[in-house]
Amino acid sequence: MGLLPFFYVVYVGFFDWNIFSKVAGLVYTGANNYRRLVFDADFLASIQRSVTFTLWAVSIEMVLGMALAQLLMRDFVGKGFFRAIHALPLTVAPIAVGATWRLLTMPGLGPLPYYLKQIGFDYNIGRYPTHAFATTVLMDVWHWTPFVTLTMLAGLSALPREPFEQAMVDGANRWQILRHLTLPMLRPVILTALFLRIMDALRIVDEVFMLTGGGPGMRTHYIGIFVWRVVFPKTDYGYGSAMSVLLLYFTIVLCWLLLTTITQARRESGT
Amino acid sequence: MTSQRRSRPRGFLPMDTNLFDRIFIGVVLSVALHLLWMRFVEQVIPLTVATVLSVILIYVIARWG
Repeated sequence: MGLLPFFYVVYVGFFDWNIFSKVAGLVYTGANNYRRLVFDADFLASIQRSVTFTLWAVSIEMVLGMALAQLLMRDFVGKGFFRAIHALPLTVAPIAVGATWRLLTMPGLGPLPYYLKQIGFDYNIGRYPTHAFATTVLMDVWHWTPFVTLTMLAGLSALPREPFEQAMVDGANRWQILRHLTLPMLRPVILTALFLRIMDALRIVDEVFMLTGGGPGMRTHYIGIFVWRVVFPKTDYGYGSAMSVLLLYFTIVLCWLLLTTITQARRESGT
Repeated sequence: MTSQRRSRPRGFLPMDTNLFDRIFIGVVLSVALHLLWMRFVEQVIPLTVATVLSVILIYVIARWG
């Protein structure tokens, strides 16, 4: 039952179906939609933009999440409060995150451009493509770093204490413990978090759509927004379906590669 | 699952696989082959050739991969 929409999208991908064309129904065109896709420079550019966005956002989230998880493993005053505050973005709906960041960054209205202007930085996500791209990355980092932190925290809490105590007795410093003990032992958890974040980042739509609408120009026109524009305003369902199938294909291949890495690592470590 | 994988002699793929894994790899590669074929080769050789090559590729990977 769960596979039914998938097969339907694959099926529609082989048809020309636009309700505003002369022939309103489905017209079989074979692999024409896919043929059109591989020559569509805008679509290929949107894949490239999505991959760049994913690389930036997920890399920052993984590093920051790991650092915060290490911090939260220690005891300090207000740890519980900080942990609760830190996890709050996870409870916000993506569309609300986009709306909030839009209000924060709106030129002439938001506090972020105002305060940055006070220190001499002209920040404008409507005018400068780099600012818009960086803001989408920052928004994703703000929203999803807590997820990585909580996953890492669960992994760190489950690790046995003996190897760490032994390493400290042997005189290993923090960096050596992190590199030779924590990271190898956390490998499955890190890969799982990575796997989930890559999947999510590749298909991001609503947050970016609310924040920039894909602009300025095409700078934040990621693949999800591209598919949305083809399917809804243009009502080109066949072409949109072909795009969705290709996006799903890339995601499945990427996830399969990561899953294989995880299972191979587990088999080699004997866990 | 694990014992099934280990009892089978390793094929040319650099990992332990079962039949489903090998068919999956074959399908994934054949999709990539079709896309690349449409982009770079179809102007010279028809797509049917890619389909025939894909069937052979899937069989080879499923049998000896």
